[in-house]
Amino acid sequence: MSQSKGNESGAEPLAMENFRLTLDGIDHIVPIAAGETLLQAALTAGIDAPHSCTQGRCGSCMSWLRSGEVSMASTKALSKRKIERGYVLACQSLPWSPDPIWLDFDL
Amino acid sequence: MQKIGTIESIWRYPVKGMRGEELPYVYTAFTGVMGDRIYAVAAADGSPGHPWHTGRDQEEFVLYKASYSSSEDLLLPPNLDATYSEWEPGIDPLYPDADAFKVRVETPEGVTYDSIENPAFIEDLEKLTGRTLRIHTTQRGIFDARPVSLISPAVAAKLGEELEMHIDKRRFRANFYVDWDNQDDPFYEMSLVGKSLKIGEWLELMIVERDPRCEMITLDPDTADETPKLLQHLARKHNGDAGVFAAVLQRGRVNKGDPVFLK
Repeated sequence: MSQSKGNESGAEPLAMENFRLTLDGIDHIVPIAAGETLLQAALTAGIDAPHSCTQGRCGSCMSWLRSGEVSMASTKALSKRKIERGYVLACQSLPWSPDPIWLDFDL
Repeated sequence: MQKIGTIESIWRYPVKGMRGEELPYVYTAFTGVMGDRIYAVAAADGSPGHPWHTGRDQEEFVLYKASYSSSEDLLLPPNLDATYSEWEPGIDPLYPDADAFKVRVETPEGVTYDSIENPAFIEDLEKLTGRTLRIHTTQRGIFDARPVSLISPAVAAKLGEELEMHIDKRRFRANFYVDWDNQDDPFYEMSLVGKSLKIGEWLELMIVERDPRCEMITLDPDTADETPKLLQHLARKHNGDAGVFAAVLQRGRVNKGDPVFLK
């Protein structure tokens, strides 16, 4: 079960050791530091994850949250329909629950 | 001046986010192409800086057809010749009265509204989208960044080649599509940032910045089907940019087929 939440409250996101990321048909286990977005963690790990503005506007880092929960500071680039389908913006996503995260860029 | 290209086609978008219309010629003012993005639909829950309801919010919005009831009256200002001949080097020409900018809208389902300002249009769109919406209009145009956008069809062809699929140039929603004489670099316009161009007899543009793309290019202009991998690919292989924005230095008429010169 995947879920994304807005985070207008500014509550602290959950610390998590790593998450699963799929890109170009390849699975990666990506270490993530506290406070890092999923995109920042992927880039730190040397993964060529799609991104451009990194401010939640362009939608280049839109990906499918196959499992887990994230909070997003901004969802401006996502329609309600996309949020309902489980799409997230990796540049805005912070881990939100202990459930393992699986982020899929192969849309 | 060195000739570097030719105007392949000219487009304007009466309503921001809706389908555009190709033009044989058009006047371009400091505020952009005459009649371009005069209307937009604003959403109450939109961000203060960009409240517009577009294909990013409702994919099918790109299929809505907007057309001016008196389109031919909105190609050139009625007193354009006089402004050239009487006011060398030119005074700001008079635009038609607001009534001339009346826009019809046809939905993908074939429902036609005689005017976008007909309350039924917004009421029906609100029911469809669940958003609180209103019409915003201004004759100076409603642009995200700059008043004029320009790209080569070669960009769409190159991206299509790289992704092994057809990429329609209309995804990029430019005002001017240009065939560059330099056919070695499909992204040739990127090299023009900071340079001035003359188009046809009058228009002069300064290319001011690259156009960083968003989800709008992922929408097929004929079906609204999404291709997210296009935006992903552009971000990974081309820095997320396609096409350029321009500021207008000298106003004037532009015709399809006009030569483009580097000043």
